[in-house]
Amino acid sequence: MVVLRAGLCPGLTEEMIQLLRASGIRTVVDFVSSDLEDIAQKCSLSYKALVAVRRVLLAQFSAFPTNGADLYEELKSSTAILPTGSPSLDQLLDSGLYTGEVTELMGAPGSGKTQVCLGIAASVSLGLKQPVLFLDSTGGFTASRLYQMLQAQTEDKEEQLEALQRIQVVRVFNIYEMLSALQELRDRLSQQVMSSMGPLKIVVIDSVSAVIYPLLGGKQSEGLAIMMQLARELKTLAREFSLAVVVTNQVTRDSSTGSLKPALGRSWSFVPSTRVLLESKEATWEKATLQRVASLAKSSRQPTGIQVEVDIG
Amino acid sequence: KLLARLEGRSSLKNLEPCLFAEEGSPVHGDVIEFHGPEGTGKTEMLYHLIARCIIPKSGGGLEVEVIFIDTDYHFDMLRVVTILENRMAQRTEEMIKQCLGRLFLVNCNSSTQLLLTLYSLETMFCTHPSLCLLILDSISAFYWIDRSNGGESLNLQEMNLKKCANFLEKLVREHHLALFATTQTLMQKSTNSAESFFSLKLPHETDTDYRPYLCKSWQQMVTHRIFFSKQCSSDNSKGFTVISCHLKRNHVVKRSFSVAESGVQF
Repeated sequence: MVVLRAGLCPGLTEEMIQLLRASGIRTVVDFVSSDLEDIAQKCSLSYKALVAVRRVLLAQFSAFPTNGADLYEELKSSTAILPTGSPSLDQLLDSGLYTGEVTELMGAPGSGKTQVCLGIAASVSLGLKQPVLFLDSTGGFTASRLYQMLQAQTEDKEEQLEALQRIQVVRVFNIYEMLSALQELRDRLSQQVMSSMGPLKIVVIDSVSAVIYPLLGGKQSEGLAIMMQLARELKTLAREFSLAVVVTNQVTRDSSTGSLKPALGRSWSFVPSTRVLLESKEATWEKATLQRVASLAKSSRQPTGIQVEVDIG
Repeated sequence: KLLARLEGRSSLKNLEPCLFAEEGSPVHGDVIEFHGPEGTGKTEMLYHLIARCIIPKSGGGLEVEVIFIDTDYHFDMLRVVTILENRMAQRTEEMIKQCLGRLFLVNCNSSTQLLLTLYSLETMFCTHPSLCLLILDSISAFYWIDRSNGGESLNLQEMNLKKCANFLEKLVREHHLALFATTQTLMQKSTNSAESFFSLKLPHETDTDYRPYLCKSWQQMVTHRIFFSKQCSSDNSKGFTVISCHLKRNHVVKRSFSVAESGVQF
């Protein structure tokens, strides 16, 4: 709801604003949707001037269409596929985590979501030598476990240290802290602050349900509105800055079919482009250890239902 | 220009006959709503329609232009390219680019921006006579945010969407377009007895998970409503169903489709 004020665009003078306000036109939307000939007569303003102002306002506040061919060219150069650190999981995701999308890992507590997230951070930081932003809302991030994973992948102490330095961890314990961390990220990326570590391509959020659960429930829709605001922020960040956004979520049981479905309700279910379910199943033979199975629950590229075994080291 | 518009007018009939309850659909001026829960193939169906439109006549397509308004930031260009590559005999880079040149994409991040964007798109319809399909994915994207911003007044909450709906109707009418819009199933069907009386008017609604929640202006301008759902079959085949209803004449048709590498297949 942008209110008209002098200087909002060239040609919009204070005098004009007063005259428009007298006719009940206060916001940009009011101006753009009104009949300009009518206004020109009522406020005795020049029709040409009004048309010019309308054009500038529309150019400023509306979105521009891009041609499909141009967009495809841009995507070809900016899309990257990031390895998760587990080859079978990469296969499930059709080579890895795609930038420009939100990928969701869902699972019951203890199914290994945080472990997979740490694995992804280690893989991108060590393997690709690119920075990682890790938003931790559960307190589950342990640097020692991450260090263990890095140690398993390389012997070189200096490389391990560099990899650790490339991973930025921000602890957020409620939705507002999360939104402000994302806003800070947006500001940083918009200003194109070139760090010595290279461009940021991945944001891992563990977990998104932890900050949203306290908001849902009850009759007010405030909680849902904030959740959708977060969803919107994640998707626009992924799209505008070519980031791969990974989020973790809980699961609940569907009351009618009995199958597992992601938590946070119907509105959230539309948000991720790809969804993977993590489960730990007990292997009955040979190993006494738990077997982790990942299945593809939603994808625009592969048929759903594929299952692989994931080794999280 | 009028001739070009009339030429384009007849060509939409072959867009996807399986989607509609009667022959000869869609015609210009139709507003078709895709409704369904997540993962039921709505976006995939839109990609299928896009492919049908932008592929040249030599490849079996309609060779018309499409505007896709993406409010969910969900559009997957790479998927569209995969579908095109699978459907066309000539898969050269040149051909693909030529097809993509007929597709225009816009992203909107608020209902206000959507409204203002529709106003600025008006000039585009005038300058592109072969532009006859407008796709909006999805029109329900701002529902919760608008509801929260509108405070206590239902009027305020719905105002932006109502203005968008009214302007869309004007665009569709004046420029002879067909509009496809998706709405998400955000709420469970009401078991309230007062509302179930309302649903008796349209018998197809009793077996679909449909609960109207968008403003009346939108609901009244929809000419066809198509419900998407997943097929729960025992042989584990990944199928989807569409139930297509022509609202004015009350014709209902049920069909199923599956999604392959080359897109939707009936």
